[in-house]
Amino acid sequence: MRSSEIYKVIEVNKLNKIYDSGEVKVHALRGVSLFIEKGDLVAIMGPSGSGKSTFMNILGCLDKSTSGEYFLDGKNVSNMTKDELADIRNDLIGFVFQGFNLLSRTSALENVQLPLLYSRARAYHSKERDELAKKALDSVGLSGRYNHQPNQLSGGQQQRVAIARALIKNPAMILADEPTGNLDSRTSVEIMNIFQTMNRRNGITVVLVTHSDEIARFADRVIVLRDGKVKEDIRNDNPENAEEMLKQMPLPEDDL
Amino acid sequence: MTVWATMRIALKALYANKLRTVLTMLGIIIGVASVITMVSIGQGVSKSVEANISSLGTNILTITPATIKSGGVHQSGFMVQTLTVDDSYAISTECPMVAYASPMVRRSMQIVYGNQNWNTSVYGVSYNYNLIRNWNVAQGEFFTEQDVKGSSKVCVVGSSVVENLFVNDNPIGQVIRVQKVPFRIVGVLETKGEGMGGDQDDCIMVPYTTALSRISRMKYIQSIVCSAISEDMTNAAINEISSLLRQRHRILDGEEDDFTIRSQMDLAEAMAETTGMLTLFLSAIAFISLLVGGIGIMNIMLVSVTERIREIGIRMALGARGGDVLKQFLFESMTLSLFGGVIGILSGVVLSLLLARFADLNTFISVEAIVISFLFSAGVGVFFGFYPAWQASKLDPIEALRHE
Repeated sequence: MRSSEIYKVIEVNKLNKIYDSGEVKVHALRGVSLFIEKGDLVAIMGPSGSGKSTFMNILGCLDKSTSGEYFLDGKNVSNMTKDELADIRNDLIGFVFQGFNLLSRTSALENVQLPLLYSRARAYHSKERDELAKKALDSVGLSGRYNHQPNQLSGGQQQRVAIARALIKNPAMILADEPTGNLDSRTSVEIMNIFQTMNRRNGITVVLVTHSDEIARFADRVIVLRDGKVKEDIRNDNPENAEEMLKQMPLPEDDL
Repeated sequence: MTVWATMRIALKALYANKLRTVLTMLGIIIGVASVITMVSIGQGVSKSVEANISSLGTNILTITPATIKSGGVHQSGFMVQTLTVDDSYAISTECPMVAYASPMVRRSMQIVYGNQNWNTSVYGVSYNYNLIRNWNVAQGEFFTEQDVKGSSKVCVVGSSVVENLFVNDNPIGQVIRVQKVPFRIVGVLETKGEGMGGDQDDCIMVPYTTALSRISRMKYIQSIVCSAISEDMTNAAINEISSLLRQRHRILDGEEDDFTIRSQMDLAEAMAETTGMLTLFLSAIAFISLLVGGIGIMNIMLVSVTERIREIGIRMALGARGGDVLKQFLFESMTLSLFGGVIGILSGVVLSLLLARFADLNTFISVEAIVISFLFSAGVGVFFGFYPAWQASKLDPIEALRHE
């Protein structure tokens, strides 16, 4: 379903990252260059020490490269200040973490609204925030859970709240760091189903960082890092379909 | 991020740790309450001192002999006789800014009525002394010019003397003895209440002429009391009296006065300084406790930031700037201190009122103290909350997210 004209959501050129702690210098990224198209579902893989986390932090505008350029949604973010990067994260990136990272003692609805609170482009009224948050929670199948707090939700439900939070501002991409790392296999497929559906139906760009081959099977493209370099970059024209797979899987007895 | 949203986050965080919030506020509450109470006690004292002084009359001038060096020894002003009755007369006639002047001699003496006796201050004054002091006669009347001229053995008594000597009898017309000299009571003075140096009503007044001629221990006049025509003219009156007395006493230019003129204003100023020191001292103590409360806030905010590093990381990842995080924590500490401040003000006011009612203390609740301690407690919140908030805002989102 990719259109013929290519829009590069992410483009990095000769990205280098050196951690300098006095005597020891660690070269985490050594000249990574690649681009990711709009509407793609990409998995970034690699063993520990491959520079995968560093790459993800830079893609997520949480960290800056030592040298090289990074264009996100056409904006050069390589030389931005901390505050500008914070605004970029708010406007263009939706984060999904392995540990869900929801605020405790805070309802699903309020957790999902968080990015709207920090929006600088425009202010959202509380009514509008509630509406948008409800819509986002509905889209991940949590209609009846608006006022539940994280400790009242299962792991899969918490991750769905996190996805709703990532989606609420219509970001240029969703950046998911080991999104299924804390989940059982069926719930993992459910979460991947949500990502695939968002990606196929709404054309949202999804970048998954994972070390799991089973998760990478769902991606259209797999980028493998090793020793701070791109080792493999494979396009998978026939990715696994999570929805189909779910139908094959037996329902657990205590499901919902 | 809007102020309202920031406030809601702060309130929520404080509500989540109710006990801790209350305990932290307690420091500020105690601090502010003690500022309010201490200042109101201090101000109460100075108000009552002020009231006492003005009850003496603010336009009153007292002229006493100056301390004089004779043979290298300083003599007490009361030991020397430089003031005369003629001086007093000259002042009242030649100084336009002086309304009345009266010589005065005063001694503490035993007085006797029937089988009762009482120790009181006996004043020898002129017939116009009640006008100088602006002191009305409640019963009977003040002795007259004729009484003074004729050295009549009449007296006017203060209400405390009446209470102590005349249990049931009407004092007017009764005879009391001062050093065996009988005096007929012609008037009773109005009650003036406590003044500087004790009960003002514990006195009897006799004509100075009678005092000087009949009472063996009253030999010469000790001072001249006069009143300026108005409070504003006090200084002008002082200048007139001074030049008149210098001339009368033949004091050459460059020589020191042999008399001292003191106004009630001087006394009032001296007392105001003393009570001001008292207020300052009390408020200093109170402010220290407020400071301790502030340190408590800082302590708790530092703990709070450390506990919530992960939350800060999440907020930053979702687009919170350092400034947003700073604001959030500053709001929390300010809410703590402001709420504490308001509760402290209320309890301070209540405490002051209770003290006034049950501890017989004069308290005066000043608006300034309330406003200042409110602003100060807000300042404490900002000042002591800033460092923890600043630390939170400087966190690295990656590190913060990884924090367990």
